[in-house]
Amino acid sequence: MIVPQIVFWIMAVIAVLGGIGVIASRQPVRSVLSLVAVMLALSVIFLELSAQFVFAVQVIVYAGAVMVLFLFVVALLGPIRERATGRLRFPWWLGTLVALVFGGFLYSMLNGLRFRAPDKVDMSFFGTVQQIGAGLFTTYLYPFELTSLLLLVAAVGAIYLSRGGRTASEIHREEEDRRA
Amino acid sequence: MPDFGQIQVGAGSLDARLVLGLGAALFILGTIGVLIRRNPLVILVCIELMLNAVNLTLITFAAQLRNIEGQLFALMTMTVAAAEAVVGLAILVDIFRVRDVDDVDELSELKG
Repeated sequence: MIVPQIVFWIMAVIAVLGGIGVIASRQPVRSVLSLVAVMLALSVIFLELSAQFVFAVQVIVYAGAVMVLFLFVVALLGPIRERATGRLRFPWWLGTLVALVFGGFLYSMLNGLRFRAPDKVDMSFFGTVQQIGAGLFTTYLYPFELTSLLLLVAAVGAIYLSRGGRTASEIHREEEDRRA
Repeated sequence: MPDFGQIQVGAGSLDARLVLGLGAALFILGTIGVLIRRNPLVILVCIELMLNAVNLTLITFAAQLRNIEGQLFALMTMTVAAAEAVVGLAILVDIFRVRDVDDVDELSELKG
């Protein structure tokens, strides 16, 4: 069967083109929409890798909710023109050196890897909601509960940060008053 | 590169190296974006791209080893990424309320 390879290659090409679009487009809204394309392509690959629940979460939570949040912020902030500057804060050979050393470490580590045989599991059960739920609520119960705390903290923090503060014109007026 | 084995996909199979290579490529694209882009919003988008690449790698290993823990970790990563995006965007909106920023290097007040 060649079908899985064909689907994977199509989705991989879409994902890489979307990734190039994220970093190459001048307007932030195009970057965000390219990232949505990457996420949808990756979700299909997740489905191929028998991760049905993660596929659904990726489409609903990531491509649906998080990216819409990004789009809202893009719409709120308006168009931001990015200045094209090519300056680097460090000499170019330092970056090359770090990349080479890191690549060497990575290569030697990958060469030392030996893979164990896959676990014997029932593939019709693998990746289903039942198995994910059983894992989350037994072995990983405490991390799961801590995650809910993290989400609560993030929600409270976002509300605190974005509550009605002083606007730029108000700050400007206050400075004028202080000067007067 | 060592052989990462084949992943069973339905009746066919997929070389794990291909999927891991795609994850690495997306991660590198995200890193390049964080390094070369100036707009703080686009830098957050590039961080999301990197997190997605890591998720792909986790799920590939979960499928290759037939071990569900990789998928559980990927779900945790998604939750943390959502929290990070919410707080990061809130900070960004708060900064832009006071002034316009078209270069993250301008935000250096904490440097002292």
